[in-house]
Amino acid sequence: MNEARKANQTAMVAEKKKMEAPAESRGISKQKWLEERKKKVGKILDANGLDMSKAYMLDTQDAAESKYKKWEKDPAPYGWDVFNPKTLYNAYKKRTKNIDVDLDEYNKLKEADPEFYREASSLQYGKAPKVSEDRIEKMVKELNNREEKRKSFSRRRKFHEEKDIDSINDRNEHFNKKIERAFGKYTLEIKNNLERGTALPD
Amino acid sequence: MAESDPTLGYLTRKDTEVKLPRPTRVKNKTPAPIQITAEQILREARERQEAEIRPPKQKITDSTELADYRLRKRKEYEDLIRRVRWNIGVWVKYAQWEESQKDFNRARSVWERALEVDYRNHTLWLKYAEMEMKNKFINHARNVWDRAVSLLPRIDQLWYKYIHMEEMLGNIAGARQIFERWMSWTPDQQGWLSYIKFELRYNEIDRARGIYERFVLCHPRVSAWIKFAKFEMKNGEVARARAVYEQAVQKLADDEEAEILFVAFAEFEERCKETERARCIYKFALDHIPKGRAEDLYRKFVAFEKQYGDREGIEDAIVGKRRFQYEDEVRKNPLNYDSWFDYIRLEESVGNKARTREVYERAIANVPPAEEKRYWQRYIYLWINYALYEELDAQDMERTRDVYRYVSFH
Repeated sequence: MNEARKANQTAMVAEKKKMEAPAESRGISKQKWLEERKKKVGKILDANGLDMSKAYMLDTQDAAESKYKKWEKDPAPYGWDVFNPKTLYNAYKKRTKNIDVDLDEYNKLKEADPEFYREASSLQYGKAPKVSEDRIEKMVKELNNREEKRKSFSRRRKFHEEKDIDSINDRNEHFNKKIERAFGKYTLEIKNNLERGTALPD
Repeated sequence: MAESDPTLGYLTRKDTEVKLPRPTRVKNKTPAPIQITAEQILREARERQEAEIRPPKQKITDSTELADYRLRKRKEYEDLIRRVRWNIGVWVKYAQWEESQKDFNRARSVWERALEVDYRNHTLWLKYAEMEMKNKFINHARNVWDRAVSLLPRIDQLWYKYIHMEEMLGNIAGARQIFERWMSWTPDQQGWLSYIKFELRYNEIDRARGIYERFVLCHPRVSAWIKFAKFEMKNGEVARARAVYEQAVQKLADDEEAEILFVAFAEFEERCKETERARCIYKFALDHIPKGRAEDLYRKFVAFEKQYGDREGIEDAIVGKRRFQYEDEVRKNPLNYDSWFDYIRLEESVGNKARTREVYERAIANVPPAEEKRYWQRYIYLWINYALYEELDAQDMERTRDVYRYVSFH
């Protein structure tokens, strides 16, 4: 009976904690700041009799200009440049969101290990702690996830039906695409001359 | 007779001569009524393509068939890699096929052979480690990662993935050690920032601070210092943030991006409601930075004064800006009297006598080059304005007389 009461109590506390926002670990959380800003904007809009959808009317010209500037995106990298250091870093950052930070386990590990903040040359390097099965499972699942995403990396290009056929085969077509990419800009003039039938006297 | 033809051996000349049909004479040289184009030929060829011949799909029923299949595939792959040793794609396919057959020892040996061919190829390392990780061979994976990271320390991707693996497995101390190893190679900003983010994920603020200090030593750039200061602000440590800014200003006052630093510093002081300090910073910055780059700084300063300053401060700021513009103009064109006039008007509106006089004197010093009337016309107007100014605004009769005397003398 007592145990049931205790269990109820803990469940209640947990739910209450979930209801209210978690304690701010560092400074003001982004959510809270966004909510406050929304409220302020809402107040000013009401004062002017505007709707939430017309929130842009409140921007000054400078603010609007900076917003437009943000919308102008840099050209997306193509070819091998897709794997430039910046994008690789962003990919790593995205993956770190999958990490569940378990602070209790972390603190337990901290107690257990005297050399928790180890230097680069520490001799503890090879000695890894026992890893629980579910962690390994999670890691494997994440890797499989990544592989799925990788499969959908290249997009299928449009098939232009109106283009001239210059191949007898699918392999031939693929080859023609490759050499067009490599030599296209140099042979353009020659090709035009051939189409016309005569070369231009330039 | 046969030996006299050493090239022909046992054959005679009669056997080896080539008999071509006699070329007929072309009778009709007009074009044929139906012409064909190259495109038509290609289209026809395409249409008449037969389907690709594929070997039939076979189901493997027992272990001998499986062994046969594997033997065949292995032979195929080995032939391929013998033919083109440097084609990493084939090596990868081979290794991944062995992985799919669940023969990990063979797969590992293939990977190692591939690494012998080209150990500098980071994709090989990545795929090798991924194979070990996916099949739950954690210590094998660690071994591979360690080798990769020792051989190719400047490829960040390897470090990222190694650390990510350790963090996913919950081996935080190990991840930390790897980070430390990486930092001893002084990677670029993103490496340091990922280390700091890692520490902050576990709320280790003091360690993060230590790392930030090393970071700004390693990358002494304005953006690094500003990031450090913003980190302190985020934790609410105002005194520390101020100390950081001050250190930054000390070290980087002559940097080419110093104005960004000053602007950030001043904004920080504004946020702390320390307007006097902010003003001092702006003034110091304006003195320090050459005029060419101070544009943005001026704008911010004017905006700041409009918010917090009193009328005099605002006017001073605005006037200062205009003053710079005019200085620029008159430096470029000392004989352009229009700009001189504008400058003088500005100074008069401010009402600072010493400065006005100074500007007048400088203006008069620019005597026109030739004895032509039109140059001298405007020049004379300068003198007249000067005399009037002295008479009316400064109420200084003595000086007025001096001016008139000087003019009449010339």
